[in-house]
Amino acid sequence: MRKLTFLFMVIAVLAIASPMYAQGGTTTAPTFNWAIPIGAGIGMGLASGLAGMGQGRVAAAVAESIARNPGARAGIQLALFIGLAFIESLVLFAFVLIFLRTA
Amino acid sequence: MHEQLWFTEILNRYFAGPVNSLLNAVHRPAEYSNAPIPNFFAMEILVVGILLVFFVLVRSRLSVENPGGLQHAMEGVYGFIDNQSHEIIGHDYKRFTPYLITVGLFILVGNLIGLIPGFESPTANKLVPLGVAVCTFIYYHFHGIRKHKHHYIKQFVGPVLALSPLMFLIEVVSHLARVLSLTVRLYANMFAGEMVTLAFFSLIPIGVPIIFLLLHLGVSLVQTFIFVVLATVYLAGAVGEEH
Repeated sequence: MRKLTFLFMVIAVLAIASPMYAQGGTTTAPTFNWAIPIGAGIGMGLASGLAGMGQGRVAAAVAESIARNPGARAGIQLALFIGLAFIESLVLFAFVLIFLRTA
Repeated sequence: MHEQLWFTEILNRYFAGPVNSLLNAVHRPAEYSNAPIPNFFAMEILVVGILLVFFVLVRSRLSVENPGGLQHAMEGVYGFIDNQSHEIIGHDYKRFTPYLITVGLFILVGNLIGLIPGFESPTANKLVPLGVAVCTFIYYHFHGIRKHKHHYIKQFVGPVLALSPLMFLIEVVSHLARVLSLTVRLYANMFAGEMVTLAFFSLIPIGVPIIFLLLHLGVSLVQTFIFVVLATVYLAGAVGEEH
C-alpha cells in the first residue's frame, strides 16, 4: 500500500513537472538546453569509470604475469600498451563526441 | 580574425598572397583573407623545419671513430624502433624502419612543442593526426599489395567462401575504423591534456598546473609510442604470411 502511494506521488510530481517546464519554455524561449551538460557529465562519467574498471583488470593481469615470469617483460609490456590504448581510445571517442555536442 | 602565434604571424606576413590564390584556385577560400594560414599549419611547418635542420646537423657530424652525443641519441632511437619492428614484423623488417622513425619523430616533436610557451601542438588539431593516419593507411596497404600482389584480397574475404561478401564488408569497415581510431586517439589525448591543464590553471594559477604539464609530457611520449607500435602492427598484418 505504501509502495502504491509512493508510486502515485512520483507519477503526480512527474506529470506536473513537464507542463511546468513547458510553461517556462514558452514564456522565455530557451536558448540554453539544460539537458546537454547533464548528459555530457553522465556520459563522460560512465565512459571513464567503466574504462577505469577495464584498465584496472589489465594492470592486475600484467602485474601478475610479470611476477610469474619476469623474463617475458618486453612482450607483456607491448601487449599492455596496445591493450590500454584500445581501451583508452573508447573513452576519447566519448570525449570527442561530448565536446562536439557541447561546444 | 583568430588569435595568431608569432610564427603564424611571420608566415602570414610573407605568404598570405600565394596561399590565398592557391586556396581560391581550389575553390576553398580562406576564412580570414588577411591571415589564411592557421596556427596548426604554421606549427606543422615549424616541426618539419626543426626536424630537417636536426637531421642535417646529425648527418654532417656522423663519424665512426668518435661519435658525438647527437649520434648516440639517434642511434638509440633507431635501435629501439628497429628492434621493435623486428619483434613484431619478423624477417624483411628493415625497409619499414625509416617510415616508422619519421612518423614517430614528427609526432613526438609535434606533441612536445606544445609544452613550450608561445607554441602549440599541431597534433592537438584533428587534421594533422588525420594526415599522418591516412599516410600510414596508404603505406601499409601499398606494402601489402606489393608483397602479396592480387593474393592480398585473401586477407579480406576470410577462409569460408560462402561468407566472403559479409567478411569483406566487415574487414573494409574495420580497416577504415583504424584510420579513425589512430586519428582520434592522438588528437583527443593531446587536446584533453591541454584542456585539463587549462581547467586547473583557471582554478589555481600557481604551481598546480605544472603537475598536469608533467602528465601531459608523459602522455605525449606514450602516445607517440602507441602510434608507432600500432603502425608496426598494421604493417605486420598487411605483409605477414597467411596462417
